[in-house]
Amino acid sequence: MAMKKLLNNWFAQALLFLLALGLTAYVSQVINDVLPPYVLIIGLFIGINLIMALGLNLITGVTGQLSLGHAAFMSIGAYSSAIATVNYHLPFLLGVLIGGLVAGLFGLIIGFPTLRLTGDYLAIATLGFAEIVRVQFTNMKITNGAIGFLGIQGSTTFPIVMTIVVLTIFAMVWLENSRNGRAMLAIREDEVASSAVGINTTLYKIQAFAIGAFCAGVGGALFAHTTTFIQPTDFGFLKSVDILSIVVLGGLGSIPGTIIGAIVLTAAPEALRSLSNYRMMVYGLLLIVIMIFRPYGLLGGVNLRQVVRRALMWPKKKQSGGRA
Amino acid sequence: MFRRRSKAVVALSLLMVALLALSGCAGSKNDTAAPTNTTDSKEPIKIGFLGAKTGDVAMYGLNTLKGLNMAIDELNKNGGLIGRQVKLVEEDNAGQKDQAINITNKLISQDKVVAIIGDPTTGITRVAGQIANSKKTVLLSAGATGTNVVEIGPYVFRDTLLDTIAAPATMKYIIQDKGWKNVALITSKNNDYSVALSKIFSDAIKANGGNIAIEEFIQDKDTDFSGQITKIKSANPDVIVFSGYYTEGALIMKKAREVGIKAIMVGGDGLQGDDLMKIGGDAVEGSISYAGFSPEQPTANTEKFINAFKAKYANELPDLFSAQGYDALMLIAKSIKDANSADPEKFKDTLAATKNYDGVSGTITFQASREPIKSPVYLLEVKGGKFALLKKVPVEVK
Repeated sequence: MAMKKLLNNWFAQALLFLLALGLTAYVSQVINDVLPPYVLIIGLFIGINLIMALGLNLITGVTGQLSLGHAAFMSIGAYSSAIATVNYHLPFLLGVLIGGLVAGLFGLIIGFPTLRLTGDYLAIATLGFAEIVRVQFTNMKITNGAIGFLGIQGSTTFPIVMTIVVLTIFAMVWLENSRNGRAMLAIREDEVASSAVGINTTLYKIQAFAIGAFCAGVGGALFAHTTTFIQPTDFGFLKSVDILSIVVLGGLGSIPGTIIGAIVLTAAPEALRSLSNYRMMVYGLLLIVIMIFRPYGLLGGVNLRQVVRRALMWPKKKQSGGRA
Repeated sequence: MFRRRSKAVVALSLLMVALLALSGCAGSKNDTAAPTNTTDSKEPIKIGFLGAKTGDVAMYGLNTLKGLNMAIDELNKNGGLIGRQVKLVEEDNAGQKDQAINITNKLISQDKVVAIIGDPTTGITRVAGQIANSKKTVLLSAGATGTNVVEIGPYVFRDTLLDTIAAPATMKYIIQDKGWKNVALITSKNNDYSVALSKIFSDAIKANGGNIAIEEFIQDKDTDFSGQITKIKSANPDVIVFSGYYTEGALIMKKAREVGIKAIMVGGDGLQGDDLMKIGGDAVEGSISYAGFSPEQPTANTEKFINAFKAKYANELPDLFSAQGYDALMLIAKSIKDANSADPEKFKDTLAATKNYDGVSGTITFQASREPIKSPVYLLEVKGGKFALLKKVPVEVK
């Protein structure tokens, strides 16, 4: 009986997943043909930022490990995918995958020594790692140093980004509700207690780190194939802060929050263009006001599932009396 | 059972919300864009400005804008362009590539500009140029001096003094005229401009019979150069050639004077900043750098521009970016007039045919590759804490 239920659920979920994926691919293709390029490109950057922010959300929001080096993984993904598509003429999507994998591999390598640290110490270590990566790219020959990597094809399109976004969202939702996700949440809540009940904290932290780095790498690869030209300065400390702001503003650990955060923080500077010189001032003010009134982020501490369920249940209850 | 399904419902509804939000904001944007589609010929001709008004490189953008606004006022006062007014649409990209991509798309698809002037930096021009070229909109950079810009395509131009012309002219002057053959070359490793310029410098030094006695590397934002300077002192060069920006240049020279090096510093237009003298003081006295513009010894045309500029902006002297911005807009105006059409597909050809245009930042000729040749190269020397004209080096059009 239980087995049947599980199968049913798996089947339903897989079906839903494929349906959502197909629907996104189709709808975004339709949107792609209808919308003006300006709006499309904003949507595209929202998508890229969201993919990276979801990765950081897993590290910082779900597992509770503060990382200030997300832009480093982004740059690793950007450069390795660019090298794959330009120097080795690999197809674009394979390049994106390579970007993600290389970044994930580095997440793994860096994770082992640094994740024995916690809190502020970890933050400083990731910050140092990001600097090392940036300096390395500045001095490498294959990346063309400070001058920058030229001649990348502008292969990233809105439908591709949206499809990967949906893929990432589903992966994150599944992960969070899996055994691994629960372990990560436990580590965030209390690392000592979770290790006392037999959770291998280092293993799960490194897992979160590697998956988060993979997402950043994918985002970086998409970024490189949007701008067509990348330089080490594109991936500075401020880029890491940008992504972290999305996660914090949306609500640490909340996937819907991260989505809202990515939309708000990417679209706001563009939506505020009419204010011309006061634009960044109003943008900053917006951040302050949000953090004052929603200190845990826009959707932090909101159980969206409950909210939606209540909204869905309420009229049903009224109609059908006591059923359900 | 229910829990699982509700999870799926949430995921799906979120997706829909995201897509709706996107299409929703798109819809409204579409509406505002609609009227400009039905442009009648009396509508103003729109020209976009792409550059930083905030951030690290804001100075370049703001000064370019000053020149642009002056040119627009002048055009409109004289009855506009082919019977239409000219309007500047300016947007701030804060020196960021992703913002520059957004803006370039906005200017083209929403504001329907016929040409974009910008970006003052090479990196962003490469990115924006790709977009403008694919959307068949003219992009003229009034600041990009690096490589791989006009190669993007037939819609991409620039009106700057190229490093590939000015840097060899400068090296020729110091090696052949001054006789300084032993050169110490310093590059800022994390500065794209410096890395590219050092390559040109070192080729030119060899071509003119000079010798690179020692090559050293620094990083932008470094403040301690003792190691490099000590090594340079032991190499005993006739001159220090530095390809980076003014802040590091000033600090390098302060250190050099401290350890007793007598040689002066020579560099590119990256040294053109008043902070060079503010930070360097006496140490940078005598330093030589090149520029595409100098308010000294003006031609009649340039003098008119300088006076008008001073009148408009509270007695301020125009700089290189203001002059090149002014020229950029006037070049586009002239090509629209010549083509008698504001259609980029038509006036890009008249723009490419520009020969010996008497601009306020020198004469401008576009080669077949659309790469500009500007004459003269201004060699400037720091004298009494100010940039003073040392020599005008004319450039031959081949």
